[in-house]
Amino acid sequence: MSAPGPAAEAHRPAAGGILARRPEGPPIVPPSGWAAWLTTLTAAAMAFLAVLTLAAGLVAGSLAEEWRADLAEVATLRLPAGTDPATLGAVLDQLRATPGIAAARTLDRAEQAALLEPWLGRGAALDDLPLPVLVDLRLTGAGPDVATLEANLALAAPGAVYDDHAGVRAPLGRAADEVRRLALAGALLVVLAAAGMVALAARASLAANAEIVRVIRLIGGEDAFITRAFVGRVVRRTALGAVVGAALGAAALAALPAPGAQTALAVALLPGPGGLAALAAGVAVGLVGVGWLAARVTLRLTLSAME
Amino acid sequence: MHAAGECPAAHPCQCIWRYLNLSCQTSANVQVLTSHLNRELAVIALEKVSFGYDGRATLDGLDLAVPAGSFHFLTGPSGAGKTTLLRLIHLEHRPGAGVVRLFGEDTAGAEAAQRTRLRRRIGVVFQDFRLIDHMSVADNIALPLRLRGKVMTAHRDDVTELVQWVGLTERAGALPRALSAGEKQRAAIARAVITSPELILADEPTGNIDAEMGMRILRLLVELNRLGKTVLVATHDLGLIRAARSLVQARTLRLSEGRLVQAGSDL
Repeated sequence: MSAPGPAAEAHRPAAGGILARRPEGPPIVPPSGWAAWLTTLTAAAMAFLAVLTLAAGLVAGSLAEEWRADLAEVATLRLPAGTDPATLGAVLDQLRATPGIAAARTLDRAEQAALLEPWLGRGAALDDLPLPVLVDLRLTGAGPDVATLEANLALAAPGAVYDDHAGVRAPLGRAADEVRRLALAGALLVVLAAAGMVALAARASLAANAEIVRVIRLIGGEDAFITRAFVGRVVRRTALGAVVGAALGAAALAALPAPGAQTALAVALLPGPGGLAALAAGVAVGLVGVGWLAARVTLRLTLSAME
Repeated sequence: MHAAGECPAAHPCQCIWRYLNLSCQTSANVQVLTSHLNRELAVIALEKVSFGYDGRATLDGLDLAVPAGSFHFLTGPSGAGKTTLLRLIHLEHRPGAGVVRLFGEDTAGAEAAQRTRLRRRIGVVFQDFRLIDHMSVADNIALPLRLRGKVMTAHRDDVTELVQWVGLTERAGALPRALSAGEKQRAAIARAVITSPELILADEPTGNIDAEMGMRILRLLVELNRLGKTVLVATHDLGLIRAARSLVQARTLRLSEGRLVQAGSDL
């Protein structure tokens, strides 16, 4: 007769007691081998991916909001190169008096140079270029009545062009919205995949322990008891993986370089430590909740079919 | 019983014969009433029960009434259907035809909740023990208590006492695979009775053990019967049945060609 293995030894009662120490008794589901830890590993990977995907969605959402805000609050008036100061002054006065425009300011030479630097390089000789005069406008509410403004400008400064950047920024905003939706869909898929994985694990565990299930039923056990025992086992493994994976995901995001001159805008838009912790906690709780539900439904259906 | 026409009862409810609208003192009526009471009061009542595997009838129109507190042996050759009959009684199988009544309840179409409720009134000793391998002997014995929502630590003394009763105190912490067949059998008996069920079903409880251990297990079952439990033992071991004669007044039924017959002095 072979000696009991170490896994079984762990459930032996203490020397002084006849029953296992736990008030609820030893686990009904027997200890399983390393393969069972694949559930934990998979849950960890799912949680890690879900955190990254949701963070990408959050960043995309922030970008979309920023671009929308810019679109609503900023416009540019472009006057032909060589516009004389008197005309410029008259235009500025007219702009400041226009309802929907809160402020109007001419961009100086240095600001124009900064705008052109990505294309012309640092220290380009801008004096030789016929640069237009740019007026930065801050808008309020719905902004000015563009048709009236353009008609007035045509009289005061022929060749003036009012640009509300809608043609450029609206598609970018829509693209950011799409990215956010895709990220949420990705996170949803990750959660569904986790639910499927938990359901399969629960079913496999039940199948592997069919004889125990049979004995428990025959000696007066209810299916609810069996379900609780198996759900508990699978959910504990999923929870461990989800917590570790979500924490690793949050840590990976937190470890990205701090926002600075060389840092991409996206990194600057990531949630802070508190936000990342909340994101990780939400992902872990969500995965455990979905896993619990998937395991419970699967086990109930499987047990019914085993009648 | 009194003669017809001499009934002293003032009202029909005071006389069972008049209440049942039967004339008194006829043996036919006594048989009708006895049969009715046996069926209604029996712990196990089978009426015209048939069951078969793959189209082959194992049990064919079988009737059985087991009164409360009785001790029954069920015998017959291997393959006669003893285990099948016990499984029908334990609601593991559904009969192909007929009625299985347990504790007066018709089990036809019993849902899971009803089956569980009825099984909780039955202690069963399986032929292959069916102890749970990763649990110690004591935890196996205590398992039915857990399944009924009892807190284990509150029943430590009960389990200890029962383990002692079946002579497994030294083996209480051992896992089933470390036990001999006789020890497993005794652990299975202890598990079957831990909740003090009304009915005990034992399938070949001495099947794989020596004669001495067989007698020890028989004495345990007899002792349970003396405590008021109804006991039904399926066995092909005629020596066990003969040995029981000196210990308990048992009725022996033989399964033959799918039907039950009262066994006689041929045993």
